[in-house]
Amino acid sequence: MRRTFLIVGLCVAVLLGVLWATGGYGALQGWVLAAQREAQTTLAGAVRAIKTGQPGAVIGLLSICFGYGVLHAAGPGHGKMLIAGYGMGRRVPVLALSSIALAASLVQAAVAVAVVYAGVAILGWTRKQVEGVAENIMGPAGMIAIAGVGLWLMWRGARRARRMWTSDRAKITDQPQADTHVHTHDHPHVHNDHCGHAHGPSIAEVAGLSGWRDTTALIAGIALRPCSGALFLLILTWQLGIGLAGIGGTFAMGLGTAIVTIGVALLAVWAREGALASLPLNRAARVLPLFEMAAGACVALIALSLLSQSL
Amino acid sequence: MQFGAAFGAMLIGCAQPAAAHPHIFIDAGLEVIFDDQGRATALRISWTYDDLISLGIISDRGMDEDFDGVLTSAELTAISGFDMEWDAGFAGDTYALLNAAPLAVSGPSDWTASYADAKLTSTHLRRFETPVALADQPLIVQAYDPSYFVAYTIVSQTVLTNRADCTAETFAPDRVAADAVLQAAITEMAGGGDAEGDFPAIGAAYADEVRVSCAAPS
Repeated sequence: MRRTFLIVGLCVAVLLGVLWATGGYGALQGWVLAAQREAQTTLAGAVRAIKTGQPGAVIGLLSICFGYGVLHAAGPGHGKMLIAGYGMGRRVPVLALSSIALAASLVQAAVAVAVVYAGVAILGWTRKQVEGVAENIMGPAGMIAIAGVGLWLMWRGARRARRMWTSDRAKITDQPQADTHVHTHDHPHVHNDHCGHAHGPSIAEVAGLSGWRDTTALIAGIALRPCSGALFLLILTWQLGIGLAGIGGTFAMGLGTAIVTIGVALLAVWAREGALASLPLNRAARVLPLFEMAAGACVALIALSLLSQSL
Repeated sequence: MQFGAAFGAMLIGCAQPAAAHPHIFIDAGLEVIFDDQGRATALRISWTYDDLISLGIISDRGMDEDFDGVLTSAELTAISGFDMEWDAGFAGDTYALLNAAPLAVSGPSDWTASYADAKLTSTHLRRFETPVALADQPLIVQAYDPSYFVAYTIVSQTVLTNRADCTAETFAPDRVAADAVLQAAITEMAGGGDAEGDFPAIGAAYADEVRVSCAAPS
């Protein structure tokens, strides 16, 4: 039952991927575009409403910002790529990955506030200068962090794979029959007891988020590049003397974005578990390093190509 | 099998360039100006910015502080040309083609600015380097930002000045077809093309375009 559920997750992810690759999102894109435009008009209206002192205007702004965040996160983006890549590549628990997605979105909002208030309010930068810093310094810095996570995943996956192969080779000389046993995932312990040795690292050993370094790198990769929409809102509201509303709106946008990245985190974990559940347990432990390497390569490749475009 | 599928999904995801999403929405309008020999000599392009961007540009300059949506004539004079300081690499987001070949156009001149319904509108003129004779092939004018930071939509009917026997039609992009073009380009790149250098060409597939067709010149 659990296995079926997991494999359904894999199918859903594959289906979405194929739909995306074959242009099945064309209509959706058109809709998102129209909705983005509508949100931008409504946002301007909300700012104007606050300035002209209409009741309920601040709540209106916050809810529009939340929707704006959801819409802007609906397209492809670096945060979702990183979360998906990491979720596919590492056996990170779903709650941990979702928490990172949420934290990253909120830190991203905080970074936008910090950049605007340090730049515009203290250093007297113009809008162009702020956008320049976001685009030319923070964006590439975030991409470097993302590429770093990708390379780190690749390196770790490669190290594990190598260790497994070396231990396999040693075993083959001892017990040539070891790999021909059929093991089902329902009785994982029989496998070890029966054969009397371990086939490289167990799932538990290769699983999990490896501490605060990964967490920090993931959050930094996502949060370092502030959203242009948030920067725009912050500068605008600061100029108009309603800065607090803008800061609130920026965090509302962050929450909206988080909804989508958390969805991506759930899907990535679901799909990964589905792929693993479709394999016998001892095979699953073996493909994990490959998953990690492939996901890492993917993340690093995209990040580096985006980086080279922005430089 | 499922493992292969997961791997496939990962690679498909990998092949998708992380496209930018637009942050500025512009309603574009076009006027094609002909000379007395019926040749197209210039384009006047109008850009109406969305409410939010308009509000930002106005606030940057501390204008319309009472939010009545009206700029004084002094303010209008001051704001004119606000979007006409083009960076060296900026091609102007307007592309003219004849027989699928790009036509050379000048930089912007004769610009104007106006403000109505909380929206800023600017117009500018761009001259063809050589006047364009229109015969059996339509003149194609596309509005797009290759980086897709700005989303252009051609909303108004194109104005044809000094020539009565031409017609102009606006075509919206076929998103499904455009996605197919994008996919084909990605496949080509996988074969060793220059992914970065070639990418902007794709923007055209997502562009609104105007096709101006004329009867043979008299």
